[in-house]
Amino acid sequence: MIVCVAVVGHQNNPLYIQSFTDADDALKLHHIVHCSLDVIEERVNNPKKSGTTLNEAFLGLLYPTVYYKVYGYLTNTKVKFILVTTDLDVRDTDVRTFFRKFHAAYVDAVSNPFHVPGKKITSRTFAQTVSNIVGSYGLN
Amino acid sequence: MGREVAESCVDTMLMEMVAMYSGRFYANKPELAARRIEAIGYQVGHQLSERYTMERPRFSDHLEAIKFICKDFWSEVFKKQIDNLKTNHRGTFVLQDNKFRWLSRVSIDPSSTSGETEDPSTPGESKAAQAVSMYLYFPCGIIRGVLSNLGIPCAVSADISSLPTCSFVIRVKA
Repeated sequence: MIVCVAVVGHQNNPLYIQSFTDADDALKLHHIVHCSLDVIEERVNNPKKSGTTLNEAFLGLLYPTVYYKVYGYLTNTKVKFILVTTDLDVRDTDVRTFFRKFHAAYVDAVSNPFHVPGKKITSRTFAQTVSNIVGSYGLN
Repeated sequence: MGREVAESCVDTMLMEMVAMYSGRFYANKPELAARRIEAIGYQVGHQLSERYTMERPRFSDHLEAIKFICKDFWSEVFKKQIDNLKTNHRGTFVLQDNKFRWLSRVSIDPSSTSGETEDPSTPGESKAAQAVSMYLYFPCGIIRGVLSNLGIPCAVSADISSLPTCSFVIRVKA
């Protein structure tokens, strides 16, 4: 089950953070997202030459904690998407599909002429679309 | 899938934008009008770059990003690719489009271009050149917006010494 999704800009400024559980502390999830930014930097600056493509957007599993797994995705414009999930067995294809839909929703939200680049995304449509994507995650 | 509009709407909007900014808002200050139009282009380029780089893997260097602009981005926005790309390998790129779509309907006054290629002091020619140059700030802004969203700060200017060929000069800031 997905507990949190986040969009972080290219200067590591948060653009959108949304948690999907009431139980867990939102602050803890923010902290996990923040720590995962370091992992992304490392992953991008020191590419592993053993088979993984150098320039792919999907970064895969960033790091597992005790209860959560964190997945990352880096766009061409240096915007990072972070997904925190509590599932124990996660299919790679599911996460990739999720990020693809999420990227499409993000592009639509940013193309809004009233959105100021660099500021937080305040579009309700975006929030609704993200909830739908999270809801339909892994349902097939 | 998005909805489609006729291309004449885009043409009309661009003409009207230039007319409003240089005729009404900043009537006697062409510099300010140009800067404002370029800023609008910057934001548009910023947003378009998000959309058109969605499917692609990340670029490994500046040249790949410029090639993306010449091929994919130019085909999406202008329905053709850049005809010629030159670089001095030290941060300057010249993109040449032999029939720039947004200038294809601009009429060139024949009396001012008949043989007077070396005389910049002819008032007719300089006015025509200045009028056309206002239309180029928007595409320059678009290119600058795309590149800075890809992490490459730069300055873009346009060169219209031979219409309808249009060259865009990109200087990457080190």
